Amino acid sequence: MAALYTGKEVDTAVISKLYPTRSHTGAAQGGIGAALGNLEEDHWEWHAFDTVKGGDYLSDQDVVEVMCKDAIDIVYELEHMGLPFDRTSEGRISQRRFGGHTNNKTKKAVMRTCNAADRTGHMILQTLYQQCIKNNVNFFDEFQVVDLIFEEGECRGVVAYEILTGELHVFHAKGVMIATGGWGRVWSVTSNALTLTGDLNAILLRNGYPMEDMEFFQFHPTGLHKLGILITEAVRGEGGVLINSEGERFMNRYAPTVKDLASRDVVSRAIYLELQAGKGINGERYVHLDITPETVNHYFKEDDARAVDGKLRSITAEYVQEKLEDISDFCETYLGIEPTKDPIPVHPTAHYAMGGIPTDVDSRVFSDENNTILSGLYSAGECACISVHGANRLGSNSLLDLVVFGKRGGHVMVQEVKEKEFGKIDAQKAIDKVQAEFDAILNSKGQNSPNEIREEMQILMTDKVSVFRTKEGMQESVAKLRKLKERFKSIKVSDTSKCFNLELLEAWEVGCMLDLALVTAKSALARQESRGAHAREDYTERDDANWLKHTIAFLNSDGSITLKYKPVTVTKYKPQKRVY
Amino acid sequence: MKAIGQMPRPKSGSTFELLSWFYMRVSGLLMALMITFHLLWMHLIVGLDNINFSVVADRWMYPITGTLWRVFDLLLLIFAVTHGMNGIRFSIEDYVHNRSWQLFLKTAVAILLLFLLFIGSYIVFVFEV
Amino acid sequence: MKKRTLKIKRFNPTKDKKPYWQEFVVEAEDTDRILDALNHIKWYVDGSLTMRRSCAHGICGSDAMCINGKNLLACKALFKEVGDDVTIEPLAGLPVIRDLVVDMEPFMEHYRTVLPYFISETPPPSYGERLQSIEERKIFDDTTKCILCAACTTSCPSFWARGEYIGPSAIVQAHRFIFDSRDDGAAARLDILGNADGVWRCRTIYNCTNACPRGIEVTKAVGEVKKEILFSTL
Repeated sequence: MAALYTGKEVDTAVISKLYPTRSHTGAAQGGIGAALGNLEEDHWEWHAFDTVKGGDYLSDQDVVEVMCKDAIDIVYELEHMGLPFDRTSEGRISQRRFGGHTNNKTKKAVMRTCNAADRTGHMILQTLYQQCIKNNVNFFDEFQVVDLIFEEGECRGVVAYEILTGELHVFHAKGVMIATGGWGRVWSVTSNALTLTGDLNAILLRNGYPMEDMEFFQFHPTGLHKLGILITEAVRGEGGVLINSEGERFMNRYAPTVKDLASRDVVSRAIYLELQAGKGINGERYVHLDITPETVNHYFKEDDARAVDGKLRSITAEYVQEKLEDISDFCETYLGIEPTKDPIPVHPTAHYAMGGIPTDVDSRVFSDENNTILSGLYSAGECACISVHGANRLGSNSLLDLVVFGKRGGHVMVQEVKEKEFGKIDAQKAIDKVQAEFDAILNSKGQNSPNEIREEMQILMTDKVSVFRTKEGMQESVAKLRKLKERFKSIKVSDTSKCFNLELLEAWEVGCMLDLALVTAKSALARQESRGAHAREDYTERDDANWLKHTIAFLNSDGSITLKYKPVTVTKYKPQKRVY
Repeated sequence: MKAIGQMPRPKSGSTFELLSWFYMRVSGLLMALMITFHLLWMHLIVGLDNINFSVVADRWMYPITGTLWRVFDLLLLIFAVTHGMNGIRFSIEDYVHNRSWQLFLKTAVAILLLFLLFIGSYIVFVFEV
Repeated sequence: MKKRTLKIKRFNPTKDKKPYWQEFVVEAEDTDRILDALNHIKWYVDGSLTMRRSCAHGICGSDAMCINGKNLLACKALFKEVGDDVTIEPLAGLPVIRDLVVDMEPFMEHYRTVLPYFISETPPPSYGERLQSIEERKIFDDTTKCILCAACTTSCPSFWARGEYIGPSAIVQAHRFIFDSRDDGAAARLDILGNADGVWRCRTIYNCTNACPRGIEVTKAVGEVKKEILFSTL
């Protein structure tokens, strides 16, 4: 999005470790939230409140208001770019219900999420890529950024590794925007792609810059059993319900008003508690997500769920097949079941990083806890933390986050870049620094397998730094992660080829993930409360008096972590008890 | 891989190719019908053991039906040769990558086409017992 | 868990003169993906095995490859469908870079030539969306699903024979816009597609429809474009 705006006015290069259409935005299913009010009454102020409440009051409210206000225009802008949204009978953009999005008066779920079948992310990714082609944006596909270049406290470029040839290139720039997504691969069961390893976040940490709110990582409640593949919240938006081994729709107990459409952390915890209470299906670690028309219509009746025209809601098998085509495909392909006939086995899966690179409302990066702007560097999307999502992200707010702040960042970058000259850099020094890092890996006499280290890290994190956390668990994680980092210093990579050496890159990625895991565990250990996605069994309540603040974590060169804090911006919505 | 965005130069559409595609379908359909008819005629009306030169010659000489047969046979010839030769052109374009060889082979095909059409039409028009 | 044999076509341009086959034996469940096996080999057996992969659930299109003679996404192909003896080679018709990685540039180049972006001659409404009915939206719904995995184009014998052929994927991408009621670029795209290396090279072989991991009716879409050219010219 940013490249589209900058590409029209200044020389722009997009550097991507994958072909752009392979980016994980394409996996986003449910939709993009905006208070268009096409099917029922809605207001951006309601959207803002829902987002703040969804974030368990950790969101910076001024930025949330900007996002929700901008949302309406940005969705129309996407449509003007050709995005093929689903339509209502009046020809307007179709919207559906989603977790945590409510009519603030009735507290019932509101139809706010604009969607294109259940492949909205795919359509947004394709549309933006197509527009970039139209506007002649330069793409450097399959170039992995391996370092950022900082001189005189300013970001002046990047060093990128050309995957095809193994050559290192220096890109001298006046402005750099990071939009590299999340790092779900730190956990073993995740909805994230294999390539989501948080590389740029680690690079920033290693250059002495902080990450914000790393302890808040969302576990999406409905990932396919064992595979972790995402089953979109839209299933629950269309009426799907969660059932335990006793055939009970257990969300009735955890979120009496919106039930299965509570915010994701609430639902994930509910599922976890049900599993701990032994109510997993067949004694296994999953519950059922049921979108069969019989069950759904039964609960519609029980809830007296009404459509916009006042009639009792009801779905058919054809409707499910049409509206939820992609997830039907997943269920059939991977589990051999048909969602219209059988319930889907699901459990929480590591999904989204609420934390990340601290930025302001125009995507400029902060270099410390005092909101000092880091000149020349910008960031937007999942890897950034503004923070709009606070302690937990609502569904359909991520796609919104990307386009709103991508655009804002693009605008600001154009202005700031035009006023700048190229800063001096020492290209050779930058290359030598990275070359040394790679040589250390390639020439290492060590015997440790980076893949084993990665697997151990993933299992550790899934066990100890997951939906529910304890002090002992997190302390153990920190200690074990430090040991893994030590082992990482002597790893073995057998492939020394220069052409498409993914083994080297994957090993380097493990190093990045270890740093992120460590910062996550440390930040989580320090936060002595439960808020949003960070839930502790030893501190079960939210503690606004002591903990209404953002964590700013620095990774020091000796491997230790320094934690600072900065306040949350509260404008309209005073923190209240969070009930769904 | 590096991909510098470039506005591609659009090629203009070829009406010849459009018509060629359409013609292949029309001629193919017509031939399917005509050949079926021909097959049935030769098997059921004439009888396989009876097919010889004089059968065709005789039916070409009849007053009205003779002309009809000649027209039928001529059309079948035209369709078969053009459809077939056009098909060969497709294969040449698919598999012969050397431009000079392509030109040579396509020219050969064109000459063959004209030759067969000429010979066939000539015979249909002037044949007399 | 059963033993499965994977015969993989290897080639490293910096070391090998020509491609060669290498066999690996892995243990896998029926519900494991071929990609899981490939990753296992890469991580624990032979680190030099190279393939593209990302989302691991059939949505990004990175890992399209030829498995037992059929173009599939390695992350969607399960052992229970593919069997215990699996032959894996890179996609046909595109130059091989290394092992199972092919050069996607010719494919992407064809994609770019069909003006694969929204074109409108009229300004958008000053507020709100352009209207489109549910029926209008349905017409091009199928072709919005394309993830540019190249399975279709590299399964097309016409493309194998003649790489200048624009390929079914590019036609599908063009179709998505040609039949979008809001788009005005149909004539320009039909012009680009209506030549010897465009739509007219399609012989309705149907390999593309068989290969598409998203279940797009590719041949049908190509046919609709052909009809559109026919009716708009005559």
